[in-house]
Amino acid sequence: MENTPIPKYTISFGLSLALACVVNALLVVAKEKIPSVMAGMQKLTGHHWVSHCAIVLLLFALFGWLFARANGGRGINLTLNRFLATLVSGVALGGLLIFAFYLIGD
Amino acid sequence: MSEIVLMAHVLFGMACLVTSVCIFVDVLHVSATNQARIRKMSWAAAVALWLAFFIAGYWYVFFYHVDKAIILKGPWPSAHTFFMETKEHLVIMLLLLATYLPIVASNDLAANPGARKIALWVAGMIAVLALMMEGEGAIIAMGVKVALLAGAK
Repeated sequence: MENTPIPKYTISFGLSLALACVVNALLVVAKEKIPSVMAGMQKLTGHHWVSHCAIVLLLFALFGWLFARANGGRGINLTLNRFLATLVSGVALGGLLIFAFYLIGD
Repeated sequence: MSEIVLMAHVLFGMACLVTSVCIFVDVLHVSATNQARIRKMSWAAAVALWLAFFIAGYWYVFFYHVDKAIILKGPWPSAHTFFMETKEHLVIMLLLLATYLPIVASNDLAANPGARKIALWVAGMIAVLALMMEGEGAIIAMGVKVALLAGAK
């Protein structure tokens, strides 16, 4: 199973998902702790949450596309276990950061 | 009207949750015969969550401020300060996972055990996160209810 090739878009958008989840959590901390970030996000679309969603979704699409173009268009080469570890860690880290921030940091 | 909007987002969220559990079970028993169904259900889960997201977003932006004010004056302010705050940001992760599922399901899951394992993880994470969102939504609704009941006494 470890040697089975994983198609490039599955890897590129999976890595992008992990990255976007962590950025999502960091953006929560930034906007709640830095008033100018919150004000900027409010101004961008009229509501901070709409801007937040738009930024994270755009990053997901952009990095998914960029990662697929790495290595001369062949995409990023990762073993299955390393890819899954990155994907699950990104989602778990993003979720834990959000929970921890509103539990103890806010 | 706002109550219908609110219930519609729960309906589509539940649809995504149930579909992702079905996908998980179908992927465990994947073969050439059920692969097309897995792909269709993956698209259905993604569409259901996008609908839930847009409806919930509309409600959150235009109606939630009333509920928020009620919750914060009631005995369960954490229904907003913790549960709503985490829910509105965790749901973005859920949306990303649901969007990613059709990409994973487009692989030949019957022939590629690696892709199959990824599909199981993604469908499983969607189910767990969607269940958490339903639970947090229930606590937020209860936060409004206990605040109104406390005010009525």
